[in-house]
Amino acid sequence: MPVTQKDLMKKPKDAILKGHFACAGCGSALAFRHAIGSIADEVILVVPASCASVYQGSGKGVAFNVPTINTAFAASDAVASGISRAMKMKKKENLKVVVWGGDGSAADIGVSTEIGACDRQENILHIMYSNNVYGNTGGQRSGDTMIGARTTTTPKGNTTPRKMIPFIMMANNARYVATASQAYLEDFVEKVQKAISYEGFKFIQIDISCPPNWKADSSDSVRIARTAVQTGIWPLFEWDRITSKAVISRPSQKYLNKEERLPITEWTSIQGRFRGITEEELKALEADTERQWNFIRKFL
Amino acid sequence: MTVAQEIKSMTGNDAAAYAALYAKPKVIAAYPITPQTTIVEKLSQYVDHGLLDAEFVIVESEHSALAACMGAAWSGVRTFTATSSQGLLYMAENVFWTGYGRLPIIMPVVNRCLAPGWNIWPDFQDSMAFRDAGWIQIYTKNNQEVFDTILQAFKISENKDIALPSMPCLDGFIISHTTGQVSLPNAEDAYEFVGDYDDPVIEVDVENPWAFGAMTGPDQYSKNRRDLMAAMTIAEKKIVEVHKEFDERFGRSYGNGLVEPYGDDEADLTIMSLGTIGDETHEAIDRLNQEGLKVNALRIRTFRPFPNNDIVEFAKKNHKLLVIDRSVSFGNDGQLRIEVDSALKRNKVDTPVIGRIMGIGGEDVPYSRIMDEAKKVLKE
Repeated sequence: MPVTQKDLMKKPKDAILKGHFACAGCGSALAFRHAIGSIADEVILVVPASCASVYQGSGKGVAFNVPTINTAFAASDAVASGISRAMKMKKKENLKVVVWGGDGSAADIGVSTEIGACDRQENILHIMYSNNVYGNTGGQRSGDTMIGARTTTTPKGNTTPRKMIPFIMMANNARYVATASQAYLEDFVEKVQKAISYEGFKFIQIDISCPPNWKADSSDSVRIARTAVQTGIWPLFEWDRITSKAVISRPSQKYLNKEERLPITEWTSIQGRFRGITEEELKALEADTERQWNFIRKFL
Repeated sequence: MTVAQEIKSMTGNDAAAYAALYAKPKVIAAYPITPQTTIVEKLSQYVDHGLLDAEFVIVESEHSALAACMGAAWSGVRTFTATSSQGLLYMAENVFWTGYGRLPIIMPVVNRCLAPGWNIWPDFQDSMAFRDAGWIQIYTKNNQEVFDTILQAFKISENKDIALPSMPCLDGFIISHTTGQVSLPNAEDAYEFVGDYDDPVIEVDVENPWAFGAMTGPDQYSKNRRDLMAAMTIAEKKIVEVHKEFDERFGRSYGNGLVEPYGDDEADLTIMSLGTIGDETHEAIDRLNQEGLKVNALRIRTFRPFPNNDIVEFAKKNHKLLVIDRSVSFGNDGQLRIEVDSALKRNKVDTPVIGRIMGIGGEDVPYSRIMDEAKKVLKE
């Protein structure tokens, strides 16, 4: 069922209340409000060490309005597996176990846990909110950092291509894999709804803006995410194990054709993390972007 | 009246698996490691053959084994796993998370020494590294005690006033892979003793959501740890109670559940130790007594909570203590010796304490060696 803007307002209850600690312009909190909000009456949330372990708030003022279990950095998919199995024993399989964590856990320290849960086809949904950096610790390079990005541990610019976790999950036979963007929330919520309707391990990576670490204006948060799609930097697609086909999502369809994409500089120029990016780095970034598109093309 | 039981021959690991089978955990997660592997192999067979109605999670690491158990424990079901050595180290952060998070998970540790130097033989370096992780630790002396202790552990850990995980410890190979006699009650009687886990210490609730482990300031954090300290104090009493109840029902006891004395009440020398060395010591005591030497023993069964009072009271009546450790706190001494010293000092008891490190990396500790050490210490 396509999700409309109107549908975004129809939530069982608010998943995030006043008093959260997210930064101004945090794309993760925005995405959380809508995605988790849309399943707020049936979700059990597992949060690895991440920005979400902080912005959920503290003590009696916790702002997450859904059951939330905070875990060690690399433990979330295994904890979620245990919850899901216990719910099966308790005949409460209607409850949806969702991991909500960043790219530090999903692309680096937690990869083996994630693949383990995927391999076992645990009935969980992992949503990786991706700001391409260890945001909570102040902006260090992660496996998800793209070429050319200046981080506190790559001050001269990151030189290696980003680790594409969705492809890893496809290769490991996840039930459903998708990418999403904070600039296209209807598309994201639709994917979340679709994912939870399936039995097995589901994975969605959503691109979210991180104004402090991206050295960007917080009012540009949505604009940066939209530009990432329009420049082709972030292809939106979904893949299903049953059909073994990838489908380019509507907001990205046009950008399958390279000619249609905005120049990458439209996206890099509005973020301080790319200040000083060289022509050579831009070329490498463009080549890596095309590598991702080519990978997806094989499944179309 | 004790219940009917049947004597069977089995390894210590089989005894552990039987205890878990009888306690009916709902979720088991495990990863293979020598010498623990055969416990979870057995359990996976029970599940596969329909003898045990449980979810068996075949995880990709020990870190995930305990994490999956934690998820299940937060969901309010009985959980079980087991590990050894490097595996225990690999789950380290979750071991602390479980203890400090007050999750009543039962995890036997089949003691094995730590690398480097690949070696699969026993010492207590692995479990001793988690002395401060907020787990109840009970060291067993034989196959029967493994079975009995695991059943008791469920009842202790799942008590709402305690809500602490338990780590029953058994010497690798000496217990785990050695066949011995075990008196087995029938499954119903064993389960009746453990009881249902229908009023869990914690349970995730969609109707009334709470967040577990969110950011916590120093006031609340320190209160949580003080609560854990208090829970350990309650556990010390409860271990004795549950042990007594077990004795009444099944007719077996190990001292008072915290410490197990052997021999005369008073002697010139008391030998203190943990695990199978404690059992081997009995043979040494018998022979030393035959030689006219006044030696007795106190096996420390429960290491966490540490039975300070029982040790102090025993030490008061005796003249000299020989503490044998199968592990070392490098830069100081064996952990048991350090703690016995501290218990005596705090209670102003001046019985001299002599420590010996023995049995490291599976080094054999026969009764003859214990006798030799005892004789040396008696002369000192």
